[in-house]
Amino acid sequence: MITRRTILRNTGTAAALAAAPWEELFASYFEEAKTVPYPPESIVTSCAICDSACGMRATVKDGVIRFLQGLPEDPHNEGRLCAKGTASAWIKNDPDRLKFPMMRTNPKKGFEEDPRWVRISWTEALDTIAARFREIRDKYGQEALLAVSRSSPAWFARLYSALGMERVDHNDMCYGVDIVVSQRTIGAHSFAWDLENAKYIVLFGWDMMARAKLVLANRLLHAKENGARVVNFNPVYTPTAKFSDEWHPVRPGGDLAVALAMIHVLLKENLYDKDFVDKYTNFGQYENEIRSHFEKYTPEWAEKESDVPAGVIWRVAREFGATRPAVAPLHKKTLAANYENAAPMCHAIAILNILAGNIDRPGGHYFPRTISIPSLDSIWPPPAYPKLPAKRVDGREKLPLAGSYGMFSTLADGMTRVYPGRVKFIFWNNYHLNSFPEPRRLAEALKTVEFMVLVDILPMDAMYFADIVLPSTMFLEGSDLIARTYNAKSPFVVVRQPVTPAPFETKSASYIAIELGKRLAPEYFKKPDGSWISGSELLDEQTKRAGLGENFAEFRKKGFFAKEQAFTPRTTFATATGKCQIYVPEFAAKNYDPLPNWRPKRDLPSAEFPYYLITVLPGEHKRNSTQNNPILNEIGGASYVQIHPSTAQKHGIRNGGLVRVRSRAGEAVGVARLTETVRPDVVVVPHGFGHKSPWLSVAGGKGFSDNDLIPAQSIDEVYQRGDWLGSGCIMDCVVAIEPAE
Amino acid sequence: MNSYGWLIDPKRCIECSACEAACKQWNQVETGVNVRWRRVLRQEAGAFPNVSVTAVSMACNHCENAFCQKVCPVKAIWRRDEDGAVLIDQSRCVGCGQCYVFCPYGAPQLNPATRKTSKCTMCFDRIEQGLEPACATACPTGALRWGKWEEIRGKGADRIPGFAHPRQMQPHVRFVTEPWRS
Repeated sequence: MITRRTILRNTGTAAALAAAPWEELFASYFEEAKTVPYPPESIVTSCAICDSACGMRATVKDGVIRFLQGLPEDPHNEGRLCAKGTASAWIKNDPDRLKFPMMRTNPKKGFEEDPRWVRISWTEALDTIAARFREIRDKYGQEALLAVSRSSPAWFARLYSALGMERVDHNDMCYGVDIVVSQRTIGAHSFAWDLENAKYIVLFGWDMMARAKLVLANRLLHAKENGARVVNFNPVYTPTAKFSDEWHPVRPGGDLAVALAMIHVLLKENLYDKDFVDKYTNFGQYENEIRSHFEKYTPEWAEKESDVPAGVIWRVAREFGATRPAVAPLHKKTLAANYENAAPMCHAIAILNILAGNIDRPGGHYFPRTISIPSLDSIWPPPAYPKLPAKRVDGREKLPLAGSYGMFSTLADGMTRVYPGRVKFIFWNNYHLNSFPEPRRLAEALKTVEFMVLVDILPMDAMYFADIVLPSTMFLEGSDLIARTYNAKSPFVVVRQPVTPAPFETKSASYIAIELGKRLAPEYFKKPDGSWISGSELLDEQTKRAGLGENFAEFRKKGFFAKEQAFTPRTTFATATGKCQIYVPEFAAKNYDPLPNWRPKRDLPSAEFPYYLITVLPGEHKRNSTQNNPILNEIGGASYVQIHPSTAQKHGIRNGGLVRVRSRAGEAVGVARLTETVRPDVVVVPHGFGHKSPWLSVAGGKGFSDNDLIPAQSIDEVYQRGDWLGSGCIMDCVVAIEPAE
Repeated sequence: MNSYGWLIDPKRCIECSACEAACKQWNQVETGVNVRWRRVLRQEAGAFPNVSVTAVSMACNHCENAFCQKVCPVKAIWRRDEDGAVLIDQSRCVGCGQCYVFCPYGAPQLNPATRKTSKCTMCFDRIEQGLEPACATACPTGALRWGKWEEIRGKGADRIPGFAHPRQMQPHVRFVTEPWRS
C-alpha cells in the first residue's frame, strides 16, 4: 500500500529542503497527512498580497500551514484565491526570510559591496536608530529626513508625522491620477464596478482577467455569463481579449483618441442618458463648451492616432450609447493610465461613464457601501504634528492637485539633481528598489544617505543600502480589520489574524512604530491617561466602535461580518457642486484643461528607438514581491521579451534567443518570445524580475527589471506637461531591439 | 467502483495558474526541477490581428485504460478502486521513463534528481476526507471542475483540437465547448 509519506519522500521535496536551516521548524510540513478527519484546524483570515483582501481559510496542522483557499462564504472573492494567495504560505516559510535585526559593519554601500551584516538585538537596533535619528536631525535639520513607505498601517503614518518626516509612496505610478480625476468628476475614487449587471462593457487597455485582481476578474466573468457584450482596446491580445466579443489592437496611447471620439459620437447623436445627465451632472451649465470642445475629436481623426477604424469607433460608441447599462471600467492596470496621457484618459473615461448615466447605478461604476472602522487618529487623537518642510525632495508641492501622495517617479531626480546630498536619514518600509523607474539612479542617490533603516520580510535589493534591517511579520502573522471597498454593494468586514505565530524575531508594524515612537516622540504614542497605546487595544477599540463585537478576540472567531443593506443609488455626489462634473472648473482654476484634450504619450517611436514598450504585470506575481516564492517562480517563469515574429525577423532575433532591449534610460537583456499576440510595433516585457540581491536564493540574479528601461522624470517635466501626478514613468518609453548572442 | 474525472472549460480559463499553485502547495511537489503535475497549457492560433489563444489546465486524466500502467515494467502503477485515481508507487518506480513516453498527456514526469517519476494523484488524500482536489478547489473561474465521472461523462465533448484521441485510453476528462450566451 502506498502512503502519502512515500509519495512525498520520493518526490524529493523533503530531501531538497532538508539542508535548509529551517529544517526543525518545518519538519512537520512534510509529514504524512493524518488519517483523522480533515481539516484539523481551519482559521479564517484575509489575504494581503494585494489590497483587495480576499477572504481566506487556512488549514493548519501542527502549527504549519497546509493549505490556503478562498473563504466560501465571502461574496467578495466567492471562495476563490489567485495563484499568489494560494501559494503565499511559502512566503511565510521562505528560508531566506529576514529573521533577526541586523546591522551593517561595512560602511561602504553599493551593489558591489558586502554589507557584512551582524546580528543585533531588537533593543540595540531600536536604540541605535533613535540615536542616529536624533543626531542627524540635530545636525542637518528636518529636511534631511525621509520616509519611503505607504501611509498604512496607521502606526507608521503617525510615526512619520510625529517625527516631521516627509514621506514618498508609489501612488503616482499607481492610481493617483485616477484619484485626482475621480474626486473632481464623480466625487470619489472607487474600484467598484457592477459588471455582472452591465450589458455593454468597454475595456481600454485593461487586462482585467489575468493581470488585475481576481475580485475584478470575477465581475467580468459574471458579465459574460449574463450575456454582456465586451469590447477590448489593447495593443496586446490578453486573456481579457479572449473574454471579449471584439478585440481591437489599438496603438499604445491611442486609446485616449478612441475615448474622445466616443464622447464625440455620444454628444453628436445625443446618445447619452438624458435623465441622469440633466439631473445629476453639470452638463447643462457647460453644454456649449462641452459640445464645441468635442467637435474636433471625430472618429475619423481618432483612426489616425489609434489605428482603430473610424467605422468601428462609430459603431462601438453608438452601441455604448444605446445599450443600458453600459460601462467603461478603469483601473490602474489600464494601459492608458500608465502613460503620460493618463490624466486626460481618466477624465475621458469618467465622462463616458457619466454620459452613460451609470454612476452609482446598477450595472455601473458605484461607490462601495462600507462600514466605517474608526481610525487610530480618531480613537486616540495625536497632539499637533510638527510642520513639514515646505520644499519636498520629490518636488510634489509644484503640482497643485497632487494631494498627499509622494512621488516615486521624481525621487531619484530630486535626490541627485535638485537637492543632492540633502537626504541623510531614510526610513524605508517594505518597498522595492525595482519599483522605481531607473533603479540604478536611485541606488546612486541612496549611497549618499548617512543612515537608512529598512523594514522588510525578505532580503530585497534595498539591503545593499541599509544600515539597519528590521525583520517584519507578513500578513499570515498579523491582525487587522478590513472593510471591503472592492465589490461592496453592501458593507462587509473581514478579519486578518495570525494563522501561525511569527517566526524567529520578526515583529509587527505596530511594534516597530510604537517602540520607535516611545524613544523619539513619546507624547504621540500615549493615551490620555498617560499609558502607552498598543496595537491590540486599538483593534479592540475599533471592533467595539464599529459594532463588530465586544473585542477583537470575539470578532476573530467569526472572522467575517456582512450587513444586509439594500442598494440605494446616490442622488448627490461628493464633488464641490454635488453633481457629477463633466467640465471640471477646479482644473480650469489651476490652469489645467477643464475638459480632456488629446495629447500623445510622452515618448514616441523614432529612428533610434522604433518600438513602443509595454510592461505587463504577470498574473502569477505581485509586482516585485513574490519572485522568491519557488512555486510562483516555477509557474510564473522568468522574464521575457515578447516580440511579433515579423519584427523579430527584421532584426534576426530567434524565438528563445537572447535579445537586448535599449531605451534612452538603459538596457536589458532577456529571452525572446515570439508571438502573434502583440502588435508588430510593440515590445512587451513583464514587471517584477531582475532582483540583484544574492540573499534571495530563488529570485536573486534572475531576469531583468523593466524599470531599467523606463526613464525617471523631473518634477518640472511633470508640471510642464500638465500632468496631475507622475504617471508617465510607469511604462511610457520607446525602445530598440537587437540580438544579444 | 467509484470514479471521478475532470470537466474543463477552456473559454473560462484566465491563465492565472491558481490550479498549479494549489497543486504544488497541497502535494508539496518539488519545485525547480520542472515537475509540474498540473500545468496550464497555452496554444496560440492564427496571425495578428486575427489571433486566438486556447488555455487548458492539464494533469493526469486517470484513464480507465492507462497506458502508463500497462507499460510500467516494475508494476509500480495501478488504478485505485476507491476513486479511480491512477497512482505511481514511488518505492517501486525505477525511473525508466516508459510511462511518460507512452502517456499522450505528459502526465508522468521524471524528477532528474531523484530518478523517480511522479504525477497527479487526484489528491486522493483530499478525496478520502470529503474534499475536492486542490486544483479544482482553487480554480477561480470554473475552468477546471472535478466530480463524479458518471455525472461528467455525458457533458461537453471528449476532446478539443490537439488533444489525443480518447478512444483507447478512456481518459476521465471532458471539455465544455458551448460558447458564451449572448
